[in-house]
Amino acid sequence: MIKAVMVMNTQGKTRLAKFYEYLPVEKQQELIRGVFAVLCSRAENVSNFIDAESIFGPDSRLVYKHFATLYFVFVFDSSENELAVLDLIQVFVETLDRCFKNVCELDVVFNYSKVHTILDEMIFGGQVVETSSSEIMKAVEEISKLEAASNAITLIPKSASGWRSR
Amino acid sequence: MHGMRGLSVFISDIRNCQNKEQERLRIDKELGNVRNRFKNEKGLTPYEKKKYVWKMLYIFMLGYDVDFGHMEAVSLISAPKYPEKQVGYIVTSCLLNENHDFLRLAINTVRNDIIGRNETFQCLALTMVGNIGGREFAESLAPDVQKLLLSSSCRPLVRKKAALCLLRLYRKNPDVVNVDGWADRMAQLLDERDLGVLTSSMSLLVALVSNNHEAYWSCLPKCVKILDRLARNQDVPQEYTYYGIPSPWLQVKTMRALQYFPTIEDPYTRRTLFEVLQRILMGTDVVKNVNKNNASHAVLFEALALVMHLDAEKEMMSQCVALLGKFIAVREPNIRYLGLENMTRMLMVTDVQDIIKRHQAQIITSLKDPDVSIRRRALDLLYGMCDVTNAKDIVEELLQYLSSADFTMREELSLKAAILAEKFAPDLSWYVDVILQLIDKAGDFISDDIWFRVVQFVTNNDDLQPYAAAKVKEYIDKPAVHETMVKVSAYILGEYSHLLARRPGCSPKEIFSILHEKLPTVSTTTIPILLSAYAKILMHTQPPDQELQSQIWAIFNKYESCIDAEIQQRAVEYLALCQKGAALTDILAEMPKFPERKSSLIKRAEYSEADTAEQSAIKLRAQQQTSNALVVTDQIPANGATSPVSVGQLSLVKVPSLVTTENDTSTDRALSQQNGASSKVDPQPPSADLLSDILGPLAIEGPPGATVQSEHNAVSGLEGDSDAVDGSAIVVVEEQTNTVQPIGNIDERFRALCLKDSGVLYEDPYIQIGIKAEWRGHHGRLVLFLGNKNTAPLISVQAIILPPAQLKVELSLVPDTIPPRAQVQCPLEVVNLRPSRDVAVLDFSYKFGTNMVNVKLRLPAVLNKFLQPIQVSAEEFFPQWRSLSGPPLKLQEVVRGVRPMPLPEMANLLSSFHIMICPGLDPNPNNLVASTTFYSESTRAMLCLVRIETDPADRTQLRMTLSSGDPTLTFELKEFIKEQLISIPTAPRSPAPSAAPPTAQPSPQIPPNDPAAILAGLLS
Repeated sequence: MIKAVMVMNTQGKTRLAKFYEYLPVEKQQELIRGVFAVLCSRAENVSNFIDAESIFGPDSRLVYKHFATLYFVFVFDSSENELAVLDLIQVFVETLDRCFKNVCELDVVFNYSKVHTILDEMIFGGQVVETSSSEIMKAVEEISKLEAASNAITLIPKSASGWRSR
Repeated sequence: MHGMRGLSVFISDIRNCQNKEQERLRIDKELGNVRNRFKNEKGLTPYEKKKYVWKMLYIFMLGYDVDFGHMEAVSLISAPKYPEKQVGYIVTSCLLNENHDFLRLAINTVRNDIIGRNETFQCLALTMVGNIGGREFAESLAPDVQKLLLSSSCRPLVRKKAALCLLRLYRKNPDVVNVDGWADRMAQLLDERDLGVLTSSMSLLVALVSNNHEAYWSCLPKCVKILDRLARNQDVPQEYTYYGIPSPWLQVKTMRALQYFPTIEDPYTRRTLFEVLQRILMGTDVVKNVNKNNASHAVLFEALALVMHLDAEKEMMSQCVALLGKFIAVREPNIRYLGLENMTRMLMVTDVQDIIKRHQAQIITSLKDPDVSIRRRALDLLYGMCDVTNAKDIVEELLQYLSSADFTMREELSLKAAILAEKFAPDLSWYVDVILQLIDKAGDFISDDIWFRVVQFVTNNDDLQPYAAAKVKEYIDKPAVHETMVKVSAYILGEYSHLLARRPGCSPKEIFSILHEKLPTVSTTTIPILLSAYAKILMHTQPPDQELQSQIWAIFNKYESCIDAEIQQRAVEYLALCQKGAALTDILAEMPKFPERKSSLIKRAEYSEADTAEQSAIKLRAQQQTSNALVVTDQIPANGATSPVSVGQLSLVKVPSLVTTENDTSTDRALSQQNGASSKVDPQPPSADLLSDILGPLAIEGPPGATVQSEHNAVSGLEGDSDAVDGSAIVVVEEQTNTVQPIGNIDERFRALCLKDSGVLYEDPYIQIGIKAEWRGHHGRLVLFLGNKNTAPLISVQAIILPPAQLKVELSLVPDTIPPRAQVQCPLEVVNLRPSRDVAVLDFSYKFGTNMVNVKLRLPAVLNKFLQPIQVSAEEFFPQWRSLSGPPLKLQEVVRGVRPMPLPEMANLLSSFHIMICPGLDPNPNNLVASTTFYSESTRAMLCLVRIETDPADRTQLRMTLSSGDPTLTFELKEFIKEQLISIPTAPRSPAPSAAPPTAQPSPQIPPNDPAAILAGLLS
């Protein structure tokens, strides 16, 4: 299972943090700092894996990917395949890119709620629910439409059949 | 969502804060604002509520506690409109944990949303429940979630979330969520075409099979089918193709699920799977595109893990090792990393260690990789692959690397080097060299146990003493040495420097002054050791040296008033003792040998290994297979002569054993039983803390006489064959025979081995007997793997085969002793002379300490091993069937009391015995026609035909017709199949229970209306 997803910038500022097992906020911050301390000391062109057990305890692995000013970090246990999780990071970033057209750190900062929505359509309670970037986008767009509609007329359709078509 | 201006402004404000203090002020202000607004909730529009909630979540992410608004959040869930409801669900799942009281308030609403018809609401509710997964949710919602998952009217979007929601509830509360009877539904879910739903369902399956694979056998072929479909890229929509690869994620998950099944018995499924795996192994290349590379290798590494799990043929295994060997040398760091990691896992598979050793040079190169993650994996692998044959090379590499290794790795590195040096030292002087180098290069990381252990070896080993003394003197001569080096040097020079007295620069005076030079630089814990050394040097100085004496006495004098109690006491006592003259020699005599005890280092290593044992499939399997995975030495021939560096060599230097008994206390107890009288004289428990031996006052208080006894016990116990022990052992043996309990069910192990060719035949706390077999025609070659799980040798090992009349069995020589933690392979040749169901028995015995263990084990050289499936066409079948017209070549019997099973299961059962179903030959769907070839010396290859007619109305009875060209074969095979069909799982070889007709003789009558004959007549 995936234990946590974090996005932080190269200065160590958290841009997104989602823990799939409940942790008090102080503990979350401690873990994020621990991860950043290791990440910021890593060179370019090395592997995408770091030893997670010293930070997250036994049976944990960590895979990260560095894009421009952001680190995308996934923490998970031995029931997941490391490279497959790396693919997942790529899917996440590609989806963000589709959503924001050339995504940059500021998009992630100011569209915090949207990034959340995307992540929720991809990972559900620590398990991967969707790996297809276009399927994730479809779901996110449906939600956006629904929000826009309800904002405009504050009325929601009784059933979702209206957006059933693919 | 784009339009939340308030939120953007707030985020900008935070970004503009110059320091943490400003940020805190801004956030406090915002929290106050949100709190106020929520107080008069009436005036809030849904939009505002949403805005505030996102602000709260943002603040939470920044690391500030948001401890209000929980009630408001939960109550929003029951709002009728989407935006409010959405906000309620999101904030609840982020801020509340599963035990929060407020959640109870929401259960009814959540349930209504789940069972309601609004899919948006369903998704919101499922997401929240899935993220929190509380017990009360599980109790009241699990059945509804199950229904959603199976509902055909739901969109995939909802169903895939339902699958994962159920998984989460099950994981968190396995006692509440009832999954009995889910096997069929799971199998049905695996037929799903939508890859999104299939992905989620596969995760659910992984969770279910990891808990209980037995119930989910029916899912196994479906998983293989899915994998096959993906691997062939059949019917995979574009959106699930990732860089040209059909859903790598689902491929990986499917292979993961397959690793939870212990084996794959159905030959067709197995073949299909191996074809897919073979294609993945061979068809994956390193390409330019990083993402494509990652994805294809994700699949490849999972395939490797699955191959390892399935314990494929040796050929495929070597192929895997070859691939891994290629990976650890590629440019792509991720692949290097995983290559090393998987090689480490591969070590658990028997037979491949030698192939892995060929890559040693490359692995050592990886120890210098720029990436610390890769260096760590390389270290793990080197540690895992080290054995007596390569210990010297590996440990020396580690030592060399130690000086340049980064700080974070040094501790682990030095600990591992110390453990390997101790476990696999080809000779003890080398061991001393290694540890001293370790202390010299990485003194800060050398724990006390490491230097205690050296002292223990040196003390117990007379030959080693002058060498060690000379060696430490070299080190201590250097200007700056680590304090640990001072400690170990002081101890060893104090005890043994007199052995060097004739060498230049080693007079007592010189030794003393070298040591004393260090005194101002050391801490108070080291000074007592130095004082002891001085006292001992003084005692050994013959003839007495007045000048040295006055120097040392002056030092004792000085420390008589030391503030540290330990130093003070030693100074006072040594001074008093020195003045006693001759008595000093007795009291300060050389330390007695230490009782043998398990190395605390190795204990620690084992503990940490057990500690981190993860529940992954590979590990699970490793535990089932080789619990002695710590070390597997090469096969040691019975005469022990050809092995260049055998473990036995160590005993040449009179050290009882490098690694001592696993079970200290039991050995100790056994020893005191043997020497009942002496144990009263010697009340000192041999398990006294090592620390107290060296640092404690034992040096003064322990007159050698008292401890020598216990030392003698330890040594004789370890040698095990000394007369005294043997004499008393005879009595003990009688009492203790078979007190050793086997691990696992011997019957079950045997039955499993009847169906597969490798596995564990027997295991108890001391030994594990594994078996690997190859069958060709009427010949069989079995290898028995006798693995000693302990750190003491197993002795008086004996294996005798009691073959039945039909088998010719030759067992190669079994060594009398199995060295500690070693695995010995004993090949066994089997020739099948004629058909019979009798079973060969292995009479195996060994002695551990005083425990004589004897077990009689059935060998899985059973009838079905000499069968080979053969597909027979209708043209071949019917003439043969007709030509064998009646008894004794063709026998028929109505069997009652059959274990009821569906026809496919029966077909699988037959296939597992290598009896191949020939579909389509019998038009009646309730019948099975099968064929096989039997091999024996008397019959040669002989075709056997089987027909089973079942009654769909009564599955407990069937009619079976067998034919072959040999009457005994026909009879034996019929009885064999019958046993399998009616067998009660616990007693497969016992004669059929009362349900079977007591007449062993086959009924010779073939009724005139034999359907087979009619069928044949119709078709011919």
